[in-house]
Amino acid sequence: MAESSPSPSAPPPSQPSRPPPVRSAPTGRGNSWLMDRFATHSGTVVLETTGRSVNQRAFAAGRAVILFVDAVGHLKQAGRSLPLIIRQLENAGFGSLFVLSLIAAMTGGILAMQVGKTLDTFGATNQLGGIISVAFCREFGPMWAAIIILSRVGAAYAAELGTMTVNEEVDALRAMSIDPVRYLVMPRILSLVIAMPLLAVVADCVGVLGGLVATRSLFNQPASEFFNSLSGALTATDIVSGMFKAAVFGAIIGTIACDRGLNTTDGAEGVGRSTTTSVVLNVIFVLFADLVITWFILVPFAAIQNWVR
Amino acid sequence: MATDRTLRAQSVTHAAGGEWTRERWEAAAPLAPVPEGREALIRIRDVNKSFGQRRILRGVTLDVYRGETLVILGGSGSGKTTLIKHLMGFLRADAGTIHVAAPPTASPAQAGSVATGSDSGSRLAVGEIDLGTAGPDQVAVYRRRLGVVFQGAALLNSLTVLENVGLPLVEVDRRPANEVYERVVEALRRVYLPAQEILHLKPASLSGGMRKRVGIARAIIQKPEIILYDEPTTGLDPVTVNGVNELTLDLQKQLGVTSIVITHDLDAAFRIADRIAMLYLGRIIAVGNRESIRQDANPVLRQMLTGSTQGPLTEAYLQGHAPVGHAPAGQPSGVAAAAGGGN
Repeated sequence: MAESSPSPSAPPPSQPSRPPPVRSAPTGRGNSWLMDRFATHSGTVVLETTGRSVNQRAFAAGRAVILFVDAVGHLKQAGRSLPLIIRQLENAGFGSLFVLSLIAAMTGGILAMQVGKTLDTFGATNQLGGIISVAFCREFGPMWAAIIILSRVGAAYAAELGTMTVNEEVDALRAMSIDPVRYLVMPRILSLVIAMPLLAVVADCVGVLGGLVATRSLFNQPASEFFNSLSGALTATDIVSGMFKAAVFGAIIGTIACDRGLNTTDGAEGVGRSTTTSVVLNVIFVLFADLVITWFILVPFAAIQNWVR
Repeated sequence: MATDRTLRAQSVTHAAGGEWTRERWEAAAPLAPVPEGREALIRIRDVNKSFGQRRILRGVTLDVYRGETLVILGGSGSGKTTLIKHLMGFLRADAGTIHVAAPPTASPAQAGSVATGSDSGSRLAVGEIDLGTAGPDQVAVYRRRLGVVFQGAALLNSLTVLENVGLPLVEVDRRPANEVYERVVEALRRVYLPAQEILHLKPASLSGGMRKRVGIARAIIQKPEIILYDEPTTGLDPVTVNGVNELTLDLQKQLGVTSIVITHDLDAAFRIADRIAMLYLGRIIAVGNRESIRQDANPVLRQMLTGSTQGPLTEAYLQGHAPVGHAPAGQPSGVAAAAGGGN
């Protein structure tokens, strides 16, 4: 571009033909330069595009929340949809067991090795059982379950519902007076909310076993030492909070994946886009929820527990 | 390059009395009074619909008589799909009304309960519903009277043919499994499919024509009063197209339903229609029986019937004002409107 921007911080002019924005004479107001800058066309464009994308995201978020509330409203018809729920449970829960166990076992082993190496310098490898079990129950179990489910099942939901949407199958359901939220969305979200805590517990157990194997073989710790430390460190709060987290993750994954699927446009390309955004958004929102819930458990919830005691 | 077709189209244009100005050919066809002995089942009055700045429907006015087969013809971007979505109750008109008369068998008590809750009681006959103001319950009652045949059949791929066709019976009417089975077999027989051989197949292993027939079977399983066909013959080979056309006529005779067929397939239209309505740029510009439509001198209709590449339809597209000429001034290209209407 021939014109040089008057200031490096100015947003690039979006229309090359437009004359360079002229900095107006100082008006005495402190932020006049900034105001003038935004008053130029390119500034407006930046504001407009930002505003529009914020708007769209807020709209999509609101839409997803409405979908979730709608699905919760259909819970009373869960009995009728039991076959659908069981089908989804089998697909989501049982089908994910093997991959999840594999990953949890390897993570347990890695954790034992990494932490054990440091602990070994203090001669404290007998504490490994407690460390690994607490880490798994609080964080690794629910998180790995969420990662596996959101990539394996969430993506499949988005693709499946997206394909159904572009093939007018969802419209056909509505035309038959079958509510897609009851028939498609609620069973999927509910099955994830049920499956996720169970998967998290499985991941906890397998991860601890993986840690035990590594601890025994690398640091020559007997299993009894490992379990001694485990029973000393692990509390019911750790396990229950992990399961609670997992259930929340399940609700988030199901809602975002179904929302993306049902709002697919533009054919096959749109299905791909829905699947991708569903996975990306799920990773972000699951981690964000983890952050919030962990804070809640560690600060206000712990305070309440102390107060009750 | 003037082909025979274009010459024919032009000669008709010139033979018609008076000059065909754009205003004249785009003007809505006057609403004919309901003939003696017929009853208007669906009354569409001045329905307007815009998406953002794009005006898709610009005052659709049309009567659908009980028991007839009405074909709504329209090119791409004419608003066909938007209109059918209004008739399915998916979209609500920005302006104008769609009234649906009560079912013929409704007892006064039932009919009264259907009509309550509608705010425009004075203009509604007993049992009539207004799709623009109907609540979810009323829409559900209306959809129970409606069977829809979707363009790609829209069968659920994870279900077998039996489950697909029986879906409304299981999920909406909650009929027991043996009754569902019997009625599915009967519906498949009506569409001339070998029920026992395909009942347990998934839709993916059927041919396009068979899928379409299964879709029709699903549409008729609840014994609807009205069947909507969305482009029933698109993407099928000529023999299958004829099969579907005959099936449409056949069902009409067997079940006495009211059929509304939305299509751009002229052969199909002239084969099955009692009446044909031409939708252009969101208006019904011509309506009549097969003969009167063949004779109609509206150049848009002439071009549609002759399939000529020259005429008002193409000019409007080439000049980029097909859907835009009527949007507020200063709006950019109308391609989006055309695409949006066609989707």
